[in-house]
Amino acid sequence: MMDSSVKIINEWDIVAARQLGRNVAKELGFGTVDQARITTAISELARNIYLYAGQGEITIEKVENGAKKGMTIVSRDEGPGIPDLRKVMEDGFSTSGGLGAGLPGVKRLMDEFSIESTPGEGTLIQSVKWLR
Amino acid sequence: MRKKIFQYVQSHNDDILNEWIELMRVEADERAVQAMSDHMFVKTSSEFIQLVMSNFSDSEEKFQERAVDFSEKIVRLGWPLAMITDGLRVFSKIVEKGMKESGEITLEDYIEFTTEINSWIFPMYKTITEAYTTSWERTVSLQKIALQELSAPLIPVFEKISVMPLVGTIDTERAKQIMENLLEGVVSHRAEVVLIDITGVPVVDTMVAHHIIQAAEAVRLVGAKCTIVGIRPEIAQTIVNLGINLEDVTTTSTMKKGVEQALAATSRQIVEVQE
Amino acid sequence: MNMRIPILKLHDCLLISIQWELDDQTALQFQEDLLHKIHETSARGVVIDFTSIDFIDSFIAKVLGDVISMSKLMGAKVVITGIQPAVAITLIELGIRLEEVMTALDLEKGLEKLQRELGD
Repeated sequence: MMDSSVKIINEWDIVAARQLGRNVAKELGFGTVDQARITTAISELARNIYLYAGQGEITIEKVENGAKKGMTIVSRDEGPGIPDLRKVMEDGFSTSGGLGAGLPGVKRLMDEFSIESTPGEGTLIQSVKWLR
Repeated sequence: MRKKIFQYVQSHNDDILNEWIELMRVEADERAVQAMSDHMFVKTSSEFIQLVMSNFSDSEEKFQERAVDFSEKIVRLGWPLAMITDGLRVFSKIVEKGMKESGEITLEDYIEFTTEINSWIFPMYKTITEAYTTSWERTVSLQKIALQELSAPLIPVFEKISVMPLVGTIDTERAKQIMENLLEGVVSHRAEVVLIDITGVPVVDTMVAHHIIQAAEAVRLVGAKCTIVGIRPEIAQTIVNLGINLEDVTTTSTMKKGVEQALAATSRQIVEVQE
Repeated sequence: MNMRIPILKLHDCLLISIQWELDDQTALQFQEDLLHKIHETSARGVVIDFTSIDFIDSFIAKVLGDVISMSKLMGAKVVITGIQPAVAITLIELGIRLEEVMTALDLEKGLEKLQRELGD
């Protein structure tokens, strides 16, 4: 079992987080398309922390579930939280004036996705990609 | 009491089997009866009864092993799970009725009898259903792999033109696989136009159309053009009735037209040669 | 730590080959540099090659989409080339379509396409 985390404080940490993710994905034997999916998902999550929470942490873990192997990406912050989760998971919703890909995009890139958020306390997003 | 039941079951082996088959024919799911010949039905039934009876004499591990073997077999044969669960119920009913009629159980020891037969049937019920579900799950996952292997190849037909025939139902998992094959193929064959042939796709619903549109967009991003060919009349109808917008994707009815358009798009055409 | 992406001029076209992973600052710097270069050279066409790039997230895609629209406003047509299959798939799954962009398989085909578009 290997865990690694990257603290997200400034823009460069986004690059550090996705590089770590890409290396772990490569090591686990993910194909090029899944590597791109994982790297992109991490980039989106890390950027959300940077933009909305100010700071937080991306943790990458290898997981095993019976015969299945994969990796988990956990994004944790103690930012303002998300008041309306349903709205944020709708396509095209973005509060930063970006392309609005955000969280629904991450959900599509990964195999499993869950989000918990308490306004005023922070947000925890867990997602898993399984090795095919 | 346990011994008494066992002795009864053993000495009335054949009667129980025959009665069980009779009752199950009436009660069972039609699918189970139709799935196999009469001979097979009798044979499998007697195996099932033997398995149930072996629970008395065999050790726990041995029974487990037999249950797994038997379950694998009936999953292959296509016996529904209800056949097993009903089967056990019918079995205990027959034993109860038989022993009552022959006077081997009386009103006084009836409670003892039901407790005993329940404590016998229930663990067995659990073991058999577990074994059945496990082998069923295995069959399903094997089929899933087999389906994935039915991958969609990208065939270069002319310079700059490739064709991908799609056959069978498209689910999300398969759509991802197809998209990867398609894009890797476009790049490695240096294709400028790809024709995706959906003649072999039985149903084009909103989801399938969505996957096709996504594939076409991804093809455009890597730098090629994508045409969907093989739009049958009924598919054109469903697409329009469902309100699916395929306007951004080029489509044609036949492969022939598709190839002609693809040649035109790459500044070529087919000409007849005069002898 | 700012790296600038080199922009080459070829007749009335600008050629850019992005060779390393883009961070936010480099992407924004590139946007600015390209627009200045278009203004300076009155270029009519731009080819941006992504062959070496193995991922594009929504931020970079946005910067890219913006620079393409901005170039158009300044009278320069943009063709992007060499998008890798993995990148195309992740962009589509993210829901980013880069709708109005011309694309080509590689730099050479991109230039050909641009020449045709410009009517030379």
